[in-house]
Amino acid sequence: MKHAEQAPQAQIQTRRSFSIIWVVPIIALLIGGWMAIKAWSEKGPEITIIFESAEGLEANKTKIKFKDVEMGTVTEIRLKQDLSGVIVTAEMTRDAEDYLTEQSQFWIVRARVAAGEVSGLETLFSGAYIGCIPSKEGQPAREFVGFEKPPIVTTGLPGRHFILAAETLGSLDVGSPVYYRGIKVGQIVGYEFDADDESVNIRVFVSAPYHEKVMQNSRFWNVSGIDFTLDTEGIKVDTQSLVSIMLGGVAFDLPEHLESSQHADQDRVFKLYANHDDTKQKTYTVKRYYLMYFDQSVRGLSPGAPVEIKGIKLGEVLDVKLVLNSDEQSFRVAIRVMIEPERIDAEIQSRVPTAATESFADERVLRDDLETLVSKGLRAQLKTGNLLTGQLYVDLDFYPAASPAEVVIANGQRIFPTIPAPLEQIAQRVDNILDEFEKVPFEKIGKELREAISALTLTLEEIKTISGSVNQETLPRINTTLEDLQGTLRGIEATIGEDSALSYNAGKLTDEFLVAIRSLRSLLDYLEREPQALIFGKEGEK
Amino acid sequence: MKEVLITARQLGLASCHDCHLLSRMPELSGRQAAYCPRCRGELRQRKPNSIARTWALVIAAMIFYVPANLLPMTITTTFGSTQTDTIMSGVIYFIYDGSWGIGLVVFTASIFVPFMKFIILIYLLLSVQFKSITRARDRTRLHRLADAVGRWSMVDIYVVTIVVALVKLGIIANIEAGPAAIYFASVVVITMIAAKCFDPRLIWDVVASQDE
Repeated sequence: MKHAEQAPQAQIQTRRSFSIIWVVPIIALLIGGWMAIKAWSEKGPEITIIFESAEGLEANKTKIKFKDVEMGTVTEIRLKQDLSGVIVTAEMTRDAEDYLTEQSQFWIVRARVAAGEVSGLETLFSGAYIGCIPSKEGQPAREFVGFEKPPIVTTGLPGRHFILAAETLGSLDVGSPVYYRGIKVGQIVGYEFDADDESVNIRVFVSAPYHEKVMQNSRFWNVSGIDFTLDTEGIKVDTQSLVSIMLGGVAFDLPEHLESSQHADQDRVFKLYANHDDTKQKTYTVKRYYLMYFDQSVRGLSPGAPVEIKGIKLGEVLDVKLVLNSDEQSFRVAIRVMIEPERIDAEIQSRVPTAATESFADERVLRDDLETLVSKGLRAQLKTGNLLTGQLYVDLDFYPAASPAEVVIANGQRIFPTIPAPLEQIAQRVDNILDEFEKVPFEKIGKELREAISALTLTLEEIKTISGSVNQETLPRINTTLEDLQGTLRGIEATIGEDSALSYNAGKLTDEFLVAIRSLRSLLDYLEREPQALIFGKEGEK
Repeated sequence: MKEVLITARQLGLASCHDCHLLSRMPELSGRQAAYCPRCRGELRQRKPNSIARTWALVIAAMIFYVPANLLPMTITTTFGSTQTDTIMSGVIYFIYDGSWGIGLVVFTASIFVPFMKFIILIYLLLSVQFKSITRARDRTRLHRLADAVGRWSMVDIYVVTIVVALVKLGIIANIEAGPAAIYFASVVVITMIAAKCFDPRLIWDVVASQDE
């Protein structure tokens, strides 16, 4: 027992147990940490977009959306150093990171009425937002230049892009429709000026399934506005839909006589024709150029006037020039025409001319055909196509009586023989007639007329003397006779009185006679002055 | 003559927290606990583990204070345009709007008071742990202040809940409470508990032990 008391006392130490209260800050820490990690992991890249104006944008409020899904938020808006625009800084979501490349596009979505549609109405209430088209193609980028107008969203839409080469943009614009047989199948998504060949490249998008209808030999033409043409065929007005009148548009189709070939690939370049007719005309790829000389006036002949055989267009006038022939010291008109021999369906060839089956050997045959016909009397002639407008055209026809000629080559140009126009021929004949007229001795005729008139005057004076003697001698005797007659006349008066028709007519006859005499006198006076009036009529009445 | 201050603990006495009966505390060993003979409430001479608990709660509240101020408190949707406001942006909005009074109240209740409570509690904890004896009375007063003013921070939460309940006008205007509301409420509640957990008698225990 004693030993036990001597044993050292064990030390007492309260076990410091872990207080449950420390769970609270640990939970808080976990929540806070989780939130921080989440915020950090969701924090996407920061980008800057340059806009012309920040109208409707607000920092920390304006969203960047794609297909109405939030892609980021504007965090800062500040002016560019040179005040030419605004720099919008935006924080994108992490998901958006892969899609921020050079190809990505940004624009401000506001309510707008343009290109035939009203868009962005929802922004009237919610305020503007920045729309974007993410793209995975190209180099990653963090700085962008924003558009003022929304680009046409075509990424992800099934269909194909094509490029149309045109001389001018005309009334086309981004958003203008593309028609296939009157159905809207796509739209213009952009355009740019090609400095190399001075043309405008218009980018169109044709949506599925109609992109299958674009063949390699399809033709696109402009259906903008109203196509108004005045030519030898008269007035022609061609329009597509009302929308295309307002907005412009492009249509495409396969020319009727062409077989469909391969489907056109993405970004294939097509020529944009000015109108539907052009697409048909330009199917003739072979062109022959001739020079025609005319001596007559070509007023009414303009470039583009048709060259016809039997009323069927074969080509057109390219230009009209005046040529001075220094040897003969005379002017003549040189007309350069383009003839498309393919427009003639030669019966010796069963071939249907198509662009695809074209060969140069055939072309030569056709040209030779045309030129051998010249020896059979084929001549060119200017004819009035439209009497109302006086437009001229070049008509080719056979004149077997014409002096023999052939196509000659001078200065590398083929000269096609011509004959004067029918009008010209008429004018020539009239000229001849006038020459004949000039031979008529008008002066002599005038002199003779004057003599005749003076003789007439003499005669009249003699008549006057006779009537004077009648007054003095014959009248008294007649008086008595008259008195005798009076009785009889009184009886007659009952029938032929002063008021009777007979007396009236007699009075009128006298008046008419006087008028006739008077006009005869004035005619004679006039003729004395203008003897040629006998042939040409009065000057003023011409 | 110096006043002799005798505490209940020095006399081996303890007052019941519930019925305030003064009873003698026995020596406790191990896992034993003393109970009030009248109301059977647990008797403790000091709040148990006061410093550690207060520290834990203050740290938790400080962690929650960060999201409470960074995350949006309200999400206002007017005609489809959504605006999110944190506490601070709300205060700035009120001040810009000319409502200086409301802005000041919100700022005081929601930002200044919780922050002030952290400072006070940390100061009190450190001063007890480092056995500071200076200005013990002022420190007790600070604790009373922290304890009394804490609940007023809930004003912000009340405003948010009422506004969220009232402004439900569909597309015209709609206000929703943001995630910050929960964190902010947590901050207020946790700091209130922390202030309660801190036993101001510890300040005087230090003073008393230094006197001996």
